[in-house]
Amino acid sequence: MKLTIDRGAFMKALSHVQNVVERRNTIPILSNVLIDAEGTSLRLTATDLDMEASDTTIAHIEKAGSITAPAQTLFDVVRKLPDGSDIGLLLDTETRRLTITAGRSRFALPTLPADDFQTMSKEDAPNSFEIPAADFRRLIDKTKFAISTEETRYYLNGVYMHGTEVGGSVKLRAVATDGHRLALAEADAPKGAETLPGIIIPRKAVAEIRRLLDDAAQDSDVSVATSESKIVVKVGDAVITSKLIDGSFPDYTRVIPQSNAKILVLKNSEFKSAVDRVATVSAERSRSVKLTLENEKLILQVSNAETGQGVEELEAQYNDDPLEIGFNARYLLDVTQQIEGDDIRFELNDGASSARVTDLADQGAQYVLMPLRV
Amino acid sequence: MSELIKDTPISCIRRLPADAVNRIAAGEVVERPAAAAKELIENALDAGAKHVRILIEGGGLSRMVIEDDGKGMTVEELPIAIERHATSKLQPDDEGHIDLLNIHTLGFRGEALPSIGSVSRMTITSRAKGADEANELRIEGGVVEGPMPAAWTGLSESGTRIEVRDLFYATPARLKFMKSERAETMALTDTVKRLAMANADIGFVLESNGRKVINLAPEQGAFEEARLKRLGAIMGKEFRENACEIDAERDGVFVTGFAGLPTLNRGNAQHQYLFVNGRPVKDRLLTGVIRAAYQDFLARDRHPMAALFVDLHPEMVDVNVHPAKTEVRFRDAGNVRGLLIGSLRHTLAAAGHRASTTVAGDALGRVITETQARQAELHMEGSEGAGPSQATAYQAGTSVLQSTMGRSSGSETWRPPINETQRAGFQESGVPHYEGQSGAFEATADMSARIEPNEMETPQARELSRFPLGVARAQLHETYIVSQTDDGIVIVDQHAAHERLVYERMKKQMKFDGVKRQALLIPEIVELSEDEAMRVLARAEELQELGLEIEPFGVGCIAVRATPALFGEMDAQGLIKDLADDLVEYDAGLALKEHFEEVMGNMACRGSVRAGRRLTGEEMNSLLRQMEDTPHSGQCNHGRPTYVELKLADIERLFGRR
Repeated sequence: MKLTIDRGAFMKALSHVQNVVERRNTIPILSNVLIDAEGTSLRLTATDLDMEASDTTIAHIEKAGSITAPAQTLFDVVRKLPDGSDIGLLLDTETRRLTITAGRSRFALPTLPADDFQTMSKEDAPNSFEIPAADFRRLIDKTKFAISTEETRYYLNGVYMHGTEVGGSVKLRAVATDGHRLALAEADAPKGAETLPGIIIPRKAVAEIRRLLDDAAQDSDVSVATSESKIVVKVGDAVITSKLIDGSFPDYTRVIPQSNAKILVLKNSEFKSAVDRVATVSAERSRSVKLTLENEKLILQVSNAETGQGVEELEAQYNDDPLEIGFNARYLLDVTQQIEGDDIRFELNDGASSARVTDLADQGAQYVLMPLRV
Repeated sequence: MSELIKDTPISCIRRLPADAVNRIAAGEVVERPAAAAKELIENALDAGAKHVRILIEGGGLSRMVIEDDGKGMTVEELPIAIERHATSKLQPDDEGHIDLLNIHTLGFRGEALPSIGSVSRMTITSRAKGADEANELRIEGGVVEGPMPAAWTGLSESGTRIEVRDLFYATPARLKFMKSERAETMALTDTVKRLAMANADIGFVLESNGRKVINLAPEQGAFEEARLKRLGAIMGKEFRENACEIDAERDGVFVTGFAGLPTLNRGNAQHQYLFVNGRPVKDRLLTGVIRAAYQDFLARDRHPMAALFVDLHPEMVDVNVHPAKTEVRFRDAGNVRGLLIGSLRHTLAAAGHRASTTVAGDALGRVITETQARQAELHMEGSEGAGPSQATAYQAGTSVLQSTMGRSSGSETWRPPINETQRAGFQESGVPHYEGQSGAFEATADMSARIEPNEMETPQARELSRFPLGVARAQLHETYIVSQTDDGIVIVDQHAAHERLVYERMKKQMKFDGVKRQALLIPEIVELSEDEAMRVLARAEELQELGLEIEPFGVGCIAVRATPALFGEMDAQGLIKDLADDLVEYDAGLALKEHFEEVMGNMACRGSVRAGRRLTGEEMNSLLRQMEDTPHSGQCNHGRPTYVELKLADIERLFGRR
């Protein structure tokens, strides 16, 4: 194998795949990235056996070939080489080392044979659709914060997506929950996604897909194909293939309160900073904030025997019976981060039941928060 | 098989002959030599013995002799004694009824002697108080011979001597199930120990194959004092030095005894003893109670030492559950449990910051062995010429110095006394003055040891020295605080000590603020067996106070509605299952509390002063004062000590002054 490639292009392709590689591995080849040189393109592939990322870029290839080399080291070396330089890759057939040259720099990395590299089996993907990158990005952004990290409930360790009919139009929905709060975002279902059965995309794949979307061209489409056990997402030349979580996502529609009658509307930015301020005195991990609702007024209060007390009073649109309810400050802050409009809207019932939160500027997203009780 | 059954003649119902009955009873009461010994020793105790001597051969199987100096039996009583259900211990009331609920003696079933007699070759020799001669009765496999006059070789003028030979010879099947001689001897020794613990005023001697295994004279002195002496003699000197007395009463139930400090812990629960009305009892209640009381201080796999004596009206406890009487049933188990846990906790709290002397003892032991090792080395070299005695003394000295001063040589750690102005400043403010505020700081900046000036001459310092943990003198390796007390030095692990302080403060705060519960969007459904679920649900209220809301959800299922907010996202399934296990095993929901401790322990760890942080004198003294004021500050959350005290006497011993 012998080739030359522009440092910028090489760097971008590497960055699309190297994150998949786990930092610590018991199987040595999993630390490596697979390099395939053929025709005019260089293809890089990395895997952790549960997901695989690959990217293709143009290179000047003198001699085709395949090899694997340590992903982290290769990435670090390329990252530190000056921008705009041409990088030469050469596989020394005798020493089985991969030589990297650029200007006066020269590196030789150990390799492992490409045949030992495990790639994910290709299979039929009965469901496929093209979705605008911006829509896909929004679906992920508005939900991924609520993904559970508790391993025992593995079926919550990802974003649930499915096509469903909502009020007469067909939507593609993304939902995530950790059992304490829930986030739901929907977009008009693109052709082919209307009948998408429920899939759970694992957290790591969600994060990697989201990274790829950062580099997606303006107004471009992303192609998504799913089977019962896998999802393939193509963004430009980059492809992520991931196993899906094999489990059943709970019936989330039942936990979204539909008849909470007490409506509270607040200036989101004011609310956000007020919550942030009072939470300073809640030292404990539960970070409980008490919300007291009165006519046209919201009082935020934290009191802690040891760390003290914090009170904030906010103007609010509220004209129902007075109400007291407690929330985890972090959960409140997470939700305020998702709100795009000026106002945040709470639908409440009483101090012990869940609250529904919506964004007046984005009706396609909603959040459910469970209260804290003392 | 079917043919065999067919061939068996159909038999009619018959009464079993007496010897068969006795052998069956023997199977229940006397399942091994230790059990036989227990029955016979209890008889001796019930007979008012002051001394009991036990001789065994072959683990008690080939020969066992129990001698006492009790009131003995008359020639008339002897033959009745070996009849089944014959006992002197239950007296009928005026109407001729016997009250089995009101039992004051250790034995009462009247099964022991005939049972043992039916499976061995037994000789009972007894001389009643005031009688002129002794009498003897022989029973071989249930066949009685005697009584006949016999020579008296007993411990005192009256008493009984029972010799049992070839135990279980009449039941070869049972004999096959005996463990090794060693195992049987150990079990028997354990039995004698337990009885001896419960009867401090009685002397016990146990000889196995001619070797004295136990030799305990009757303990003198006041009851508690004698008991502690006896416990010390059996459980070890350490226990005696590190035990706290327990004395509590609730609703007619009395708890006395001694509990070891948490820093004195073991890898198994063998050193935990329970006695009910003077009767050694093996009950899992004890394990649960002790774990619940010590859970703040000990890791799950460490066990404290304790000997607890529960005394209550005989009507409130049923000892007639098990023929060997090793199990009891309390009428109000909840009360007994609550009282035991409460009194243990109370005692531990009162013990406050006391840490076990074993820790200092250990350290001391190591230093001494090290010194001795060096001495041995030196003696070897001594032949080469140099005066061995001098060299030895010198070596021993440095070794100690190194151990106590953190491996820095003596001259380096010395700091010149501070100047007069600084001293004056100190006297005005009344606060001890420390270097580090002055230029002296630079001189010490690169040293890991910081020495505080000696202020012992001033009245303020003298006052300070009354504090149990003394006055901080130095910080070594930015990790250990060395303080001077009236009669020794204290070395404090600053991180462990502060961690404990923070933890105790958090616990107090949680109690004050209440536990916040994070409601769950989707209730977590946990599947258990039906009785497990019932058991967990019975505690729903208690669990709610700790932040766990549960409710029934069909048969054998529990719905978790809210979890403690402090835990964040958690494995509710796992927790409920652990709780169910705990409730079966210990009858107490320890898992949740343990989880709390783990989480708070981690938070405390993060929130406390690390090793490696330089502390000023004020900070060090403040830490010491807080430790004195905080209960349980003598050990970290895992039962390791937070400080070690070396008494002057110990130090003098190191230097060979004593």
